[in-house]
Amino acid sequence: MVCIAADGRMILVNGEAERLFGYEREELIGQLVDILVPEESRAAHPGYWAGFLADPQHRVIGGDTPLAGRRYDASTFPAEISLTAIDTGAGILVTAAIRDLTARLRLRDLERSSQSLDSFIYSVSHDLRAPLRGLSGYSGALLEEYGDILGEEGREYAERIVAVSEQMARLIDYLMQVSRVSRTELHLQPVDVGEEAARIAAELQSGEPGRAARFTIARPVQALADRRLIRTVLENLLGNAWKFTYGRDDTSIEFGTAPGADASVCYYVRDNGAGFDPEYAGKLFQPFQRLHPARDFPGTGTGTGLATVRQIVELHGGRAWAEGAVGAGATFYFTLDGKESA
Amino acid sequence: MTTPTILLVEDNPDDEALTLRAFKRSNIRNEITVVRDGAEALGYLFPEDDVTPSPALILLDLNLPKIGGLEVLRRMRADDRTALIPVVVLTSSKLEEDILDSYRNGANAYVRKPVKFSDFTQAVNALGVFWLLMNEPVPNHGSEAPIEAGRS
Repeated sequence: MVCIAADGRMILVNGEAERLFGYEREELIGQLVDILVPEESRAAHPGYWAGFLADPQHRVIGGDTPLAGRRYDASTFPAEISLTAIDTGAGILVTAAIRDLTARLRLRDLERSSQSLDSFIYSVSHDLRAPLRGLSGYSGALLEEYGDILGEEGREYAERIVAVSEQMARLIDYLMQVSRVSRTELHLQPVDVGEEAARIAAELQSGEPGRAARFTIARPVQALADRRLIRTVLENLLGNAWKFTYGRDDTSIEFGTAPGADASVCYYVRDNGAGFDPEYAGKLFQPFQRLHPARDFPGTGTGTGLATVRQIVELHGGRAWAEGAVGAGATFYFTLDGKESA
Repeated sequence: MTTPTILLVEDNPDDEALTLRAFKRSNIRNEITVVRDGAEALGYLFPEDDVTPSPALILLDLNLPKIGGLEVLRRMRADDRTALIPVVVLTSSKLEEDILDSYRNGANAYVRKPVKFSDFTQAVNALGVFWLLMNEPVPNHGSEAPIEAGRS
C-alpha cells in the first residue's frame, strides 16, 4: 500500500510495499511515485496520474492486462493496482493497493497448459482407438476365416492379439475419461449422497440376486457435489466393496459419515472383504495398479476405479484415502470440501 | 432390379474394410457405396446432373477430411432431397457434445464404433438388420425395388 499526494509524491508506504519494491521506507517517502514505474512507461505516467486526478473514481487497473511494477534493482513484476482517492479537505490523497500478480499468472499459465495437455491426451486417445479396431478386427477375421488352417497354437496367438487390443482399448478409454473429468466443469448442487449410495447398492444386489449381503446405508447424507461425478465415486467404491467381498456368505457393506479432520464431514465405504496390505495403501489410488490378481475376483476392471475416485474427489477440493488389512476388510474414506452438512 | 444402396462415409480404410466385411457376413446384399471424405459425400448426394441417389441408409463418420460429418449432416437436412434419409452416425467419439450435435442436426442414431472385433461385427449387423429390414423406409420412393437383403 502506498499513499500518494496530489503532486505525485509518496507520503506513506507500508511494509508490504517496501518488500514488494525492495526499497526502505525512507527511500520512498517524498519521492515521485514514478520511480515505481518501469523506465519505458515513466514518461507517460504523469499523464495517467493527471487523468486519474481529473476523475478520481475508485478503480482497479491492470486486472486484464497486468501493469508492471519496478523494483529497486530495476527488475519488474506484473501488477494490479487498486486506486482510491480520499478528499482530505486539504487536497486529494490517493491510496494505491498494489498486488503482485506473478503467482496468479503462473497459475493461469499452468491451468492453460494443463487444459491443452488434457485436450491433447483426449485427441490422441481418440486416434489410438482406430488402429486398435484394425488390430482386433483383422485378428478376428483371421480366426473366423482361416482359423482351421492356423492350427491350435496359431489360433491362440490370434486370440491373444484380440484380447490385448481390448485391454489397450480399456486403457485408452480410461485416459479419455481422465482427460474429460479434468476438463469437466463442476455442477455443484445439493445431493443426498446416501440416496445415491442406496440406489447403487440396490443395482449391485439385483445384478446378483443370489448373493447374501447386508448393506447399511446412512441416509440422508446431504452434500454439495456434482451429482454425476459423485455417483461415479460411489459406483467405484461400492462396486469394489461388492467385488472384494465375493465368496463370503456374510457380506457386509456400509456407507456412512464420520467427523473429518480437514473437512466437516468425511464419507466412507466399509466392507468385510479381502482387504489389502496396508504397505501398498498408497498404490491403491494410482491408475492401472491392482493389489489382487484379476483372476481371483470376477468382474475386476482395469485398475483405474480408485484413480478416478481420487481425481473426482480432488476436483471437489477433497481427498481420498484407505484403511485396511489383508483378510480384514477395507474402508475407503473421502472428503469433498468443507461445505458439507451431515 | 437393384436394391437401395447404403452410403458409407468413412475415411479410415480399416474401418471401411471391417464394415464391408461385417455387412457381407450379415447377408446384407445391398450395394454399398463408399466415399472417403465429407466433400465426396456431398458430391455423391448432390450430383451435378441432378439424378439424386437415395441411399436407404447413410453411415456417417464424424471426423472426416475436408468437410466434417456434422456439416454433411447439416447440409443434408437442409435440403429436401436428402432431408429424410436415415443417417446413423458411426464414429469413435463418445464426446457428449458430438452426440448432442449429431442429434440436434438430425441424426437418426448414434453408434460408437466398438474396438472389440465381435462387438463391431455385431453392431454393423444390428444396424443393417434394423435399418434395412425392420425399419419402414420413408415413403415416396415408390419407384425403388423392395429391399431384398436378408438371410438366405
